[in-house]
Amino acid sequence: MEKEQYQQLEQNVTPKPPYLKNVAKAFFVGGLICAIGQAVSLFYIIFFNFTEATAGNPTVATMVFFAMLLTGLGLYKRIGQFAGAGSAVPVTGFGNAVISAAIEHRSEGLVLGVGGNLFKLAGSVVLFGVVSAFFVALIKYILVTIGVVSW
Amino acid sequence: MTLPLLVVLMLLNGCAEKEKFIVYGPSQNGSEVEALIKEEDYVERSTVIYYDDSMLVAVQIKPWEKWKKAKLEKKLQKKFEEKYPNKDVFVSADYKIFYEANKIKKDQIEDNKLNDKITELKELAKEET
Amino acid sequence: MVIIFQSKPSLLAGGVVAGPLENRSIFSQYFDAVYDDERWQMKTNEQGHHKMIEEACDAAMKKIGVQSGDIDYFIGGDLVNQMTPTNFAARDLEIPFIGLFSACATSVSSAIVACLLTELGAANFSLAGASSQHNAIERQFRYPINYGAQKPKTAQWTVTAAGYALIGKHREEYPSIEAATIGKSVDYGMDDPFHMGAAMAPAAFQTIQSHLQQRNQKIYHYDLILTGDLGQLGLKLLKGMLVENGVKNEELTLLRDAGAEFYGQDEAFQSGASGAGCSAAVFFSYVIQQMRAGSYKRVLLVATGALLSPLSYQQGETIPCTAHAIEITMK
Repeated sequence: MEKEQYQQLEQNVTPKPPYLKNVAKAFFVGGLICAIGQAVSLFYIIFFNFTEATAGNPTVATMVFFAMLLTGLGLYKRIGQFAGAGSAVPVTGFGNAVISAAIEHRSEGLVLGVGGNLFKLAGSVVLFGVVSAFFVALIKYILVTIGVVSW
Repeated sequence: MTLPLLVVLMLLNGCAEKEKFIVYGPSQNGSEVEALIKEEDYVERSTVIYYDDSMLVAVQIKPWEKWKKAKLEKKLQKKFEEKYPNKDVFVSADYKIFYEANKIKKDQIEDNKLNDKITELKELAKEET
Repeated sequence: MVIIFQSKPSLLAGGVVAGPLENRSIFSQYFDAVYDDERWQMKTNEQGHHKMIEEACDAAMKKIGVQSGDIDYFIGGDLVNQMTPTNFAARDLEIPFIGLFSACATSVSSAIVACLLTELGAANFSLAGASSQHNAIERQFRYPINYGAQKPKTAQWTVTAAGYALIGKHREEYPSIEAATIGKSVDYGMDDPFHMGAAMAPAAFQTIQSHLQQRNQKIYHYDLILTGDLGQLGLKLLKGMLVENGVKNEELTLLRDAGAEFYGQDEAFQSGASGAGCSAAVFFSYVIQQMRAGSYKRVLLVATGALLSPLSYQQGETIPCTAHAIEITMK
């Protein structure tokens, strides 16, 4: 059997990923996570002296804390299997990437294991996040300078 | 199963009608202030605390207009300053300020405490992180 | 290319131990031990992996009543970098040792080497097998265990199991190895590490075809042709290739796959089981026991392995695969 022929057969046998279903699941679980985040944010605004502008930091910390608990209990990977991008894109997914790496590399010690591998998965998120933030800010700065938009 | 239920509950909650424009204080021109805010159609709800020579205008902006929150805040601030040049006006679209303003009204805070409270809120609104 | 063993070395015993999740395997009743702790009370997954190999070897030796001092060679491998679990097990067992890496086909490739040593007269007893430990392997080839990435339907689950066979001189009452085929490394351009069944199926196909041709056999000469860890999709592909080559549909029922059946129809494991321990665990427990019970007279075991590393697929290389076969008969 030739390679091309086999690739044809492989295409026929392999089930197509259920994109629509995946999108729907990601939408609802992602939405649910964001709704919880909104509730946490309101909690900080109402019960503590945080405004909409300042409640972001403690909310992110709390959501990452929830992600840490769920990762440690082995539940986050199940949510991830169900929701896909729905649980990977919110900040909880970032938390999960960091914490799962930390748990994984605990056996190699704190410095070379946990420290060295903590951002194994999340490192590229940090890097490209910072880089793209820089360029977005640069573009906006130029636009403001030439007077197209205002801050 | 629980997910649609939750969504429905949240929607129902959001639909509950409340008093939308509130003016609180020993004010003669309460209805004037109310009319002033109602002119701006991007404001969904508002609470104005009115005392001595100060005015705290807490507004909530309609969801799709929130993109321009800072701009609208400024615009409203300007409008009030022009209308009441001899008053110290403070406009905020922040939910925290709105929530606290409603609380002031609900708890009927006395004038002497009111001043401290408003100063505190102004400080809070300036914080950035 | 087919190797005929004139002395017909025998599979005297198999020792298989598995982890907690493998309790859900339809083959778990054939295993010697299923542990509740996937680390075997050790501190790390890798130490647990090493312990598991020792326990499997002990279980095999106990069945025939031999000690590690009576064993001439210990041949095996696993999937961890530099195969440390097997190397460390060899240190503790104190048997002359060759580490062998054929990825998930190591169970059969090490059995072939053991048979050759027996045929030569160099070994009275040798231990051959392979193992894999889910956590230790996944972290190396994919993501951390607790990372919430979605696995596609084509993915397979690395089993936690070690299977070792005690191979010795021919004895009538035990299943014997008559012939073997060492497979080529086959690459059909598949490059998805979450779809290994598709990469490995052509290797299995070539090895089966070449074994049957050179032995002048047809599929129906066998009671069972059992592949290692193609998974449900890989098995479908293998059957598809055989049909293209003129194999009749009724013969296809003789073809089964250990990985596809390992966890039953449980959807949580996607396409089925994989890992070096998968074929080793099924071949050296279920198959040996069924043959001794007389259910099968002639069996072809085809272990399949994907010869990739995390580095190779990140560099965009395709996945070459191999398959090795042994033909086992029982009087």
